[in-house]
Amino acid sequence: MNHGRIDGYAPIADYGAVGDGRTVALIARDGAIDWLCVPDLDSASVFGALLDSERGGRFVLEPEAGYETTRRYLPGTNVLETTFTTAAGVVRVTDAMTLPAAGLSPYRELVRRIDGLAGEVPMRWRVESRFGYASADTRIEHRAGVPVATAGRDALAVCSFGAGEATTSDGAIAGRFSTRTGGAELLVLSAAHQEPLVLPARREVEARLEATRGAWRRWSDGRKYAGPWPDAVLRSALALKLLVYAPSGAIAAAATTSLPEEIGADRNWDYRYSWPRDSAFTLEALLALGCAPEAYAFFSWLLHASQLTHPRLQVLYRLDGRPEAEERSLSLTGYRRSRPARVGNGAAGQTQLDVYGEVLGAAAKFADFSGGLDRDQGRRLAEIADHICGIWEQPDAGIWELRGEPRHFTQSKMMCAVALRRACELAERGLLPRKHVERWRDEEARIRAFVDTRCYSQRKGSYVRSAGEEELDSALLLAVLAEYDEPDSSHMLGTVDAVRRELARGPLVYRWADEPGAFLTCSFWLAEAFARQGRLEQAAALMDELVGLANDVGLYAEEFHAETGEFLGNFPQGLTHLALINAAVAYTRASER
Amino acid sequence: MIWGAIVGGLAGTVVLTTILRAASELGVTRMDIPFLLGTAVTADRVHAKAIGYALHFVFGLIFALAYYAIFRVIGRSGFLLGAGFGLVHALFAGSALVNILLPVVHPRMGTTFDAAGSAPLLEPPGFLLVNYGRQTLLATLLAHVAYGAIVGGFVSLAG
Repeated sequence: MNHGRIDGYAPIADYGAVGDGRTVALIARDGAIDWLCVPDLDSASVFGALLDSERGGRFVLEPEAGYETTRRYLPGTNVLETTFTTAAGVVRVTDAMTLPAAGLSPYRELVRRIDGLAGEVPMRWRVESRFGYASADTRIEHRAGVPVATAGRDALAVCSFGAGEATTSDGAIAGRFSTRTGGAELLVLSAAHQEPLVLPARREVEARLEATRGAWRRWSDGRKYAGPWPDAVLRSALALKLLVYAPSGAIAAAATTSLPEEIGADRNWDYRYSWPRDSAFTLEALLALGCAPEAYAFFSWLLHASQLTHPRLQVLYRLDGRPEAEERSLSLTGYRRSRPARVGNGAAGQTQLDVYGEVLGAAAKFADFSGGLDRDQGRRLAEIADHICGIWEQPDAGIWELRGEPRHFTQSKMMCAVALRRACELAERGLLPRKHVERWRDEEARIRAFVDTRCYSQRKGSYVRSAGEEELDSALLLAVLAEYDEPDSSHMLGTVDAVRRELARGPLVYRWADEPGAFLTCSFWLAEAFARQGRLEQAAALMDELVGLANDVGLYAEEFHAETGEFLGNFPQGLTHLALINAAVAYTRASER
Repeated sequence: MIWGAIVGGLAGTVVLTTILRAASELGVTRMDIPFLLGTAVTADRVHAKAIGYALHFVFGLIFALAYYAIFRVIGRSGFLLGAGFGLVHALFAGSALVNILLPVVHPRMGTTFDAAGSAPLLEPPGFLLVNYGRQTLLATLLAHVAYGAIVGGFVSLAG
């Protein structure tokens, strides 16, 4: 299990993801499941080796002898296939979290099917269950002949169908077997939470695995996209679907916590929350791909979740819609000793003014799609617009959630102006109460005057990061994407050129000048800005390069380190995949014009 | 009066269910009585929970009537006596009813003789329900004592 690992940690790009709409497992190229939270994506981990290789817990499955691996997702699915080639033969492992089907299925089920393709390959497996981020007291016992690990409300059964007799020792459940050509064995994890375990039968597991493949394929067949980079767009859609928390419709920013933005440093955050800031991008991507049910569910969740803080919008909410996100450090060592490993997210308490523009933008897109807004939605959005009029002059933490002194970030002010513009437009369509439209117009004009006089550098011919400074920020690209101004206005063209000149190195765009890793989302934003400005050749060339930066199964993390070629940050990163989809769609639309 | 037993049975079952659910939320136990009862009837998870709740209330009423019959036979009732009945009820549930009798009649419940082979099996509860968490019996005792006290109290109040 040391394939390409450093101190027991696989490179972030080595992971593939499988999930069931409630939680996600990350599987390394060497077959180890190093991350799984049960029962939900934002629950505590049972496999947390991603954040502590020695104590975190994992599920190892690999040939006993040396091997090479190749991987792919089964076409149109989130079912991962890893092929191990050894001197003795070839074996294929198919991993999936099964979707619930008729009948009594486990609360959560992870299936690993092992198929012998050639020769005879001795295999070994070992399940180290470490509940509660490896802090819970875990017992290993047997139920009806099946080894189970239990801790408080949670339990995990390890069912072997032809994959060897399970033995238990050192807090682990392990086994060995040989797979021959044509052989098929199964290892099944059945998880229970606040209920008795379901110990599944092989026949039903096989049926659920097949049904899961079919369900993913049908979902993919329903996506409508006919532009360039179709494989990357579909894989991004499938990655996003993995991050959709089905019980509420919320979309998690990523499946992990505390994967570092810099190896060994402390910028390690929990991304298993949903950010309203991403809402406009999300709605745009979902609607462009024909994901109407997901778009409807997400917008409903957004309005539902923000009820408790209304009219203030919190930076992030839990996937079940609750606003609490208290931050604390875990006793885990962190990915490659990048400490601390955190859960919760202190950014929840920040003021970020740009959120309002994104949410009003999402409302406008939703209204276009659904043909309107109901009266209560309209009233609440109008109250949010009123709220913006009272707060836009405050400094804030900005889109990048900086934890220093608040500033007058240009992009935050721009998004407040966008929010009030959208509110006026919706009111003109009769979808919002018209009572305060004049006030919204006046405040929008004041914001624009502030931005144009305090946040624009004549010397650079560009908007700048915050009022009164000369630094750039790639978040300014969002002015083009959110239609703050005409995309081909001199200020917008100048800003995009300046960002490219000062913050891009090749295809990689950095959020600010001295950042260690390039922020992949910003790279796709630059491609989309090019497309919206009609610079199609530049957009296409950039997209070609960026699509090539995905890992071997088409997934992206948050950042990319140009020198080492490593992924950095949480994984898979929803915002990066959203930005890819929106850039491809913008390019396609611009090409058709 | 029998109405006291019926009302007490319903109120007691509400309290019993609430205590066990709270224990589950607090991580004391994984026991889920509606799920256990419902899956004896159907393999469908959603329907199982709904049916299980209904069955649980029916059993709550039946046990309340049994308590009432004993109160009549011995000629006295009251919440303390009811609490004592609840204690015995809980021990019976943990040692014989759920541990031995339920696996016999439950088509999907595992026993020590089963292996995961032909049909999906529910994890058996084990002696004194310890498979669902070491403190499951404590929660069960507390819930049943409360149930018994409520039934005894209502029967006594109804005269």
